[in-house]
Amino acid sequence: MSDAIADAMAAVSARVLDRAADWDLAGEIPPSLLRELGDMGLLCAEVPAAFGGLGMTSAVSGELTAHAGSLCSSLRSVMTSQGMAAWTILRLGGLAQRRELLPRLTGGELAAVGFSERDAGSDVATMSTLIRRDGDDVVVDGAKVWMTAAGYADLLVVFGRFGDDAAAVVVPANAPGVRIERVRDPLGCRAAGHANVLLDSVRLPAGHLLGGGGQSLQLLVTTALSYGRMSVAWGCVGILRACLAAASAHAKTRQQFGKTLGEHQLVARHLADLLIAEQSATRACEHASKCWDDGSSDVVMATVLAKHLSATSAAAGASTAVQVLASAGAQDGHVVARAYRDAKLMEIIEGSNEICQLVLAQHALTLA
Amino acid sequence: MTAEQDTRTVEETLLGFLEVKTKAKVGLDQDLFASGLVTSMFAMQLVVHLESEYGVAIVGSDLKLDNFRTVTTMAALVRRLRDESAVTEGV
Repeated sequence: MSDAIADAMAAVSARVLDRAADWDLAGEIPPSLLRELGDMGLLCAEVPAAFGGLGMTSAVSGELTAHAGSLCSSLRSVMTSQGMAAWTILRLGGLAQRRELLPRLTGGELAAVGFSERDAGSDVATMSTLIRRDGDDVVVDGAKVWMTAAGYADLLVVFGRFGDDAAAVVVPANAPGVRIERVRDPLGCRAAGHANVLLDSVRLPAGHLLGGGGQSLQLLVTTALSYGRMSVAWGCVGILRACLAAASAHAKTRQQFGKTLGEHQLVARHLADLLIAEQSATRACEHASKCWDDGSSDVVMATVLAKHLSATSAAAGASTAVQVLASAGAQDGHVVARAYRDAKLMEIIEGSNEICQLVLAQHALTLA
Repeated sequence: MTAEQDTRTVEETLLGFLEVKTKAKVGLDQDLFASGLVTSMFAMQLVVHLESEYGVAIVGSDLKLDNFRTVTTMAALVRRLRDESAVTEGV
């Protein structure tokens, strides 16, 4: 492992320490800690060096994401949001916007991305947030729900309709007309700063419109989500690693009926299942990241497959880990209890299980 | 190679790529979206393919479905982006 990734992982570990349980219970990561990691470029590690980032490949950044995910899925969710915001700015923004905004995202400012609305989840075509030009300004009206990290964010990347097309606009969280309301008691990733965001006639200079707007809504969302899916997939690998480690350590030492749990065959099978899940999800993520880094068009399907496999494996694996630890892990804040709740959300976010299956089935039909 | 020949080559390569990826014979000016051959997920594959194959960056306002609607429009996009990068690089 190169020094850069080892240093990055150590920097994350040194800040999380054993505090993830407390953050889960409090529903909050200290914002100063997030800004510190952000200022080191660690929250969006793939931003090219030319824009002030660490310029990690998808494969290396993926390992960092998995590491963060093994410690705290709330922190990893913040990384996913920051990375997705940076990727969106890199893909959709003009050169001047990339030069202005990306160094801010690697300089301590935090960002969130808004797609979902009350009546527009997987079906993005029903999105009703409106972005319109008004002279030299752009005006945004709408309401986004469950924006990950919006509770911490300085910048909100908001998707919406723009005439007959679509656009993404960068909205400062403190702009007049923006109201950010934290989602109370989310099931999982409790400290990820999920929030509903109301945008009431938010007026900004037109320079906040990424790439001038007027792109395809489907293509915009697919573009942004491609990063998010890769990040979630690696994050789920982290969840599986944490579950495998906790379950194995417990089964190795806990004695029942005169032998360790690991010597009971029905429990041993759980450990085998966890190892298989962790390894297969890792391989799927490595393959998708390799496609990403090689610029292969196979990346699109490989990413959906990796996301689906990792998320479903993490949800099943976390349930298995809770089963192995039993009362030792059945308390909020415990690593496997967090995994159990956090992994379930990963089956929903960035393309639900069912949407991923539809996409993969369509791909299979196309190949037939 | 003239610019016209160059565009012809891009078109032919794209037709081959589409045939492999969609298992269907595609015409130069066939509307790929209307014919149901191409979804937004596949459009994303086309973006990545064109970028890696021709060393261009399809970003900002070029991420319009119209640019990917037919083989002809995609070849024209590649041509324009190559011309633009040649100008900025002073080649």
